[in-house]
Amino acid sequence: MTRATTFTEAEASCCITARMIKQGWDKSYWVGGGGTPLISALMAQKLYVPYLTLVLEDGVIAPQPDIPLDPLMVFVSAKANYRAVAWTNMNTVCSHASLGLFDYGILLTLQTDPYGNINSSFLGGDFYHPVRRFGGAGGANEIASMCWRTILHCTQEKRKFVKKMDFITSPGYLDGSPHARERAGLPANTGPYRVVTPEAVFGFDEETRYMKLLAIAEWVEVKDVLDKMDFEPMTAKKMERLEPPTEEELQILRVNVDPSGGTIGEGKWINL
Amino acid sequence: MEILDSGIGELFHIPDLDGHRAYIRENKKRALVEKVMTEQEAISKYVNDGDYLCYDCTMLMRGPSSLVREVIRQRKKNLGLGGRFTYMIVILMAAAGCVNRIDIGYIGVGAALKRAFDQGIKVAEWSNSTLTMRLLAGSLGIPFIPIRFLGGTGAFHYSAAKLAKDPWGDKEVVLVPALNPDVGLIHVHQCDVYGNARIFGPSVSPLEIATASKKVIVSTEEIIDTEYIRRDPGRTTIPYYLVDAVVEAPFGSHPGEVAGVYASDPESIFEMFRVAGDATGKQMEQFLEKTVYSITNHKEYLEKIVGLEKILALKRRATIKQGYS
Repeated sequence: MTRATTFTEAEASCCITARMIKQGWDKSYWVGGGGTPLISALMAQKLYVPYLTLVLEDGVIAPQPDIPLDPLMVFVSAKANYRAVAWTNMNTVCSHASLGLFDYGILLTLQTDPYGNINSSFLGGDFYHPVRRFGGAGGANEIASMCWRTILHCTQEKRKFVKKMDFITSPGYLDGSPHARERAGLPANTGPYRVVTPEAVFGFDEETRYMKLLAIAEWVEVKDVLDKMDFEPMTAKKMERLEPPTEEELQILRVNVDPSGGTIGEGKWINL
Repeated sequence: MEILDSGIGELFHIPDLDGHRAYIRENKKRALVEKVMTEQEAISKYVNDGDYLCYDCTMLMRGPSSLVREVIRQRKKNLGLGGRFTYMIVILMAAAGCVNRIDIGYIGVGAALKRAFDQGIKVAEWSNSTLTMRLLAGSLGIPFIPIRFLGGTGAFHYSAAKLAKDPWGDKEVVLVPALNPDVGLIHVHQCDVYGNARIFGPSVSPLEIATASKKVIVSTEEIIDTEYIRRDPGRTTIPYYLVDAVVEAPFGSHPGEVAGVYASDPESIFEMFRVAGDATGKQMEQFLEKTVYSITNHKEYLEKIVGLEKILALKRRATIKQGYS
């Protein structure tokens, strides 16, 4: 394995997540929408887990996508759904999630807060008078509600990690109080598990459900990460260091998974 | 049942189980009768101003794009939309002034939605599966359905969902009301003249929509002989008595793809995204004029807007056939 020295922020997040999927090779992953969550899963499938149990929001079970996918059409396309074991529909996979069949959801978030709640609805103003409005919950709400564990993707920016969000589109630990999710009608023992950014990985404190910095990239210090947050997370007693992407990982990403760079080209370039 | 919390969003379409049954008794044809008509006839006959409308899939894949353009062309007014798992359908219809209320699951370009707010369109917030579960309840003829998601969020608060105590247990559960749209629009791979329809590949909720809706319009890539339906009944997605109109619409999903038949048209899709993002709305006006109002019907759309060269190229690009035909 050759350590890479030049890669994008999106590539860094994908590599971190694909390695998590390698660890959890025998688990199921429910992914809605495209972007880095789907690209991470496809990367893991190419590199580590050929028979990955990947489930897509529109009812596709365990596809082996014909990649590269068309531009824009990262999912809900003939190519993304190729060689699945079953083509079902949205309510079918939603019921599988409701039954507890899905271990991990991977979700892109516009904004998150100390309890891993997700905003993908609007920024600024109020619900009826938003300053910037986005597409809505989509399938993120059901994924964040019913998978046993949710992995969030976010960029490391102050405006992304905020104390209080304008809107909770999809649930994290809500207000962090014990059993808050169950009181709201959500399944027990579920919730956000990790938040992955290009330079850090966060978990959540078991007691308080407050976000906790667990690992950082080798090109940053804890302070650099904290400076890019609107709130101060808890920090692990022993801070892990994340291995940077390898050339082998990047080759798969750039040549086999996303050659147009539509997703992995996002974010700043990192030069080590 | 003890209700613990209620969303403040407006319920645009209140379930009326016996009213729906009475409608079905009166209006749904049970006999095996031909239902083929033009899109112009189907939309003018079955879509009324004020109706609540649902559609399957998106304008990126197997959405009923030609039917949506016909609704806009006929300048229908005050429609309600079940906007889940969608990209452009809500945005085009809202920009065209056809819509006055939207249930949001996912509607694509947010800037266009903000414009819709400014025009006084009412919205309630849900999520994709919340709306498909509401359609499932509608298709079962029951008034509501308990779900294990949506709770605790802003999406719950701005929806018309309720949090209740499970009457047989001690747990909290979210309840969402049934959705029985006035009109369902579904584009399919194949259909016979009676409305027996086949979809190949995954889907959002075509059967739920076809079953729950009062009026169902199916557009199809091709009309096939009923003999083929009877030879392989396991492949029928929607049986005929749910369907009111069958419209032949080859390339009916353009600019989206129909799996195994033709690929999506990124050039046209990006054009839609671009015009939707224009804050003034001017580009959208021009786009609608060019692709809808100045065009008589779907056939003319294929000739003038898409063109033979692109049609052949999109067909060629749909290289994956396995399972989709």
